[in-house]
Amino acid sequence: MAGVISAPGKSTQLFLVGWLRWRLFVNGLRTATGKLNLAVHIIMGAGIGLGIVGFGVLLGLGSWYAIRYDKPPLLSGELWLVFLVWLLFPLVISGFGAEADPVSLLRFPLRYSTFVLLALAHGVFDPAAAACLYWLAAMLLGIAVASLSALSWAIPAFGALALLNLLINRAIYAWLSRWMAQRRTREILGAVGILLAISGQFLSPLANRYGRQALPWVTRLASGIRVLPPGMAAAMVKFGRADDLGKACAEFAGLLAYCGVVGWLLAIRLRAEYRGENLSEARHPSAEGRAPVRAGWNVTGVSPTVAALFEKDLRYLLRNTMAYLTLLTPVLIILVLSMGRHDSPHPKVTGFMRFMSGSSTYFPMGVAYVLLTVVGLAYNSLAYDGPGLPMLFAAPLRFRDVMVAKNLLHSMVLAAEVIIVLVLVQFVGGPAPPVVVGLTLAGALWAFLMNLTAGNLVSLYFPRKLKPGQMRRQQASGLSVLVSMGVQVIVAGLAAALYFLSRWAGNTAWCGAGFLVLAGITWVAYRRVLNLVSGIAWKRREALLAELSRPD
Amino acid sequence: MTDLAVETNGLSRRFGELEAVRNVNLRVEAGQFFGFLGPNGAGKSTTIKMLTGMLEPTVGQIRILGLDLASDPIGVKSQIGVVPEGLALFDRLTGPEYLTFAGRMYGLDRVTAAERAQELLDFTGLADRTKSLIVDYSHGMKKKLAMAAAVIHGPKVLFLDEPFEGVDAIAAGTLKAMLSRMIARGATIFLTSHVLEIVERLCSHVAIINRGELVAQGSIEELRSGVSARRDDGQKLSLEQIFLEMVGGERAAVPELSWLE
Repeated sequence: MAGVISAPGKSTQLFLVGWLRWRLFVNGLRTATGKLNLAVHIIMGAGIGLGIVGFGVLLGLGSWYAIRYDKPPLLSGELWLVFLVWLLFPLVISGFGAEADPVSLLRFPLRYSTFVLLALAHGVFDPAAAACLYWLAAMLLGIAVASLSALSWAIPAFGALALLNLLINRAIYAWLSRWMAQRRTREILGAVGILLAISGQFLSPLANRYGRQALPWVTRLASGIRVLPPGMAAAMVKFGRADDLGKACAEFAGLLAYCGVVGWLLAIRLRAEYRGENLSEARHPSAEGRAPVRAGWNVTGVSPTVAALFEKDLRYLLRNTMAYLTLLTPVLIILVLSMGRHDSPHPKVTGFMRFMSGSSTYFPMGVAYVLLTVVGLAYNSLAYDGPGLPMLFAAPLRFRDVMVAKNLLHSMVLAAEVIIVLVLVQFVGGPAPPVVVGLTLAGALWAFLMNLTAGNLVSLYFPRKLKPGQMRRQQASGLSVLVSMGVQVIVAGLAAALYFLSRWAGNTAWCGAGFLVLAGITWVAYRRVLNLVSGIAWKRREALLAELSRPD
Repeated sequence: MTDLAVETNGLSRRFGELEAVRNVNLRVEAGQFFGFLGPNGAGKSTTIKMLTGMLEPTVGQIRILGLDLASDPIGVKSQIGVVPEGLALFDRLTGPEYLTFAGRMYGLDRVTAAERAQELLDFTGLADRTKSLIVDYSHGMKKKLAMAAAVIHGPKVLFLDEPFEGVDAIAAGTLKAMLSRMIARGATIFLTSHVLEIVERLCSHVAIINRGELVAQGSIEELRSGVSARRDDGQKLSLEQIFLEMVGGERAAVPELSWLE
């Protein structure tokens, strides 16, 4: 038998993985949906890209000004902004492109160093990371124009900050994915999230009550922020420019120490993944036991089939921590709103700001946020049904029932959240005026029906498979995002037009009546679409099964 | 005239340039244990997907128990049970939840679905894992559960795509026992399998598909006598020998691989 050849070099492996990504991308364009998705990404990317370029120019000007006129806090502020965008944006929007998991390549003789490089490379190619790298480059340009001596300190400082961001970004994903992959840790994380959200509600009342006493603590905290990475990077430039070599080097050493700690935390995860850690649920089977089979749920007012589907969908939602944590975010938005409130008339708070901080805006804004969160589910409502989907096509049911059950679930979630928001608003900012509640509910009803109608079609035409409890690679199809954005623009535009027209006419009740009329028209459209759903699903069953039931 | 459980006329399916299934005319009589055989890529899974309504034929007609699948899909589906290639399990449910859900999808009332689910869990030996999510099940357990879900409504025709693939001897025994009971109560079973020994032991009739075309159909004895007559050597042929004869003669000489000398 011939001898076994040695594993290829690191550069060869990286080249091969790059080639693999390229082939996956090119082959993904074979379908019409793939081509449309690319077109959507280019269109959206162009719009977002313009904003990023423009903001980079502003940051560049800002850092020029900060160095030229010796304003270190401005530089620090800019670095904080970049730092936070880099870390938080990918958590909110988990990337635009499909990400090939380097773990799937471990069956090949992949070197550990190559594996680490691939994991980091995914971080660099993240859109938020790319934007932040560009912003840092723009800031360096601004600094270079202002002072070349400052540039020589800014390059290592910004470089270390970029490396740290990259490491933190990867470490957060790696650890969160680790915790979210198994039910027990997921539940603990979920509970922590809920506790944080609830305890956050007390921040504003506490600040109002003990604000003065807490001031020294807040000042101390603000000075503590200086020893966090963006502050250290800005301080390094400041000390370097002032020829205070010792302090500048100390700041740099601090940044590198941060990199070391975070890199070590990331290495723990990567090493475990490289050794073949299996993060599937199967590693920690849930409690075994024998229990009698209980009959399924009986949901009043709907057929037994819809009731069974509704029960299944609700169980799926409750077993998907990421999904219901997302649904909790409206609670947080009320918190944010309440923190900016101004109970007593302040001479400096006038006009629009006063309107925005009034308690009567909490309810509409909270409901708007709830709507956006819930309808996010409606635009890809088959996302988690993948493995079981063939069963729905094999069973003697109309696909209309499948969508009705999902719409019912989304409606119940919306109703529950609206009630929570109403109660929270009452607690945080006092009772919302009945007119505001009425207008908001009428508008929400119409907007929700619009989104359900569009969502049912988009779910069938542009589905995207998602895995419960997973953070990475969990994005809806670009086309569904585009349609969803289009619907929100139409709804917001029409709602604003109706509102201002009714105000102009001197009777805001007309706006509510207008919303109800629109809701009635949309209800008819919703019913019509619902009647088409079975036929569309039957015609598109091959495409649906190919996208949603494909093996991982 | 015997009732036909499965009947296809001129069934064909194209995927772009590729004609995966070409002019297949199947006849499966009610009560038969029918094996559908063919080499990899011959068109078995494509055919079974078309028979169960998961794939639309390019041309051709499918009748199940006399009902036209295209014009009455709901009527057909309520009479059949399916264990598809990927098992089609909602893996974030527990076994009992999935079985009661499946029962209700096929029109059983809540109580009956629960009672039958309990019986099936006991029969398949899954009653001790009632709290586990399906995602935590082993492959064999998933197969047994998929089979249980496919029979919970007492289908008249059962379609099974590779039911014994990746299943150990114990689980296979349970599956065979379940299939035997189905046959005993008059159901028709249509299965695809690569394990020819199992097919030979279980099935009374087989059809062989090769490169999208049906090359043989009938009882195993009929096929055996047909091939024996051609060979004229008086040898009693196994199903594997019949299969090889039908899909391209004797096992082709295996070429050598230069680096595995």
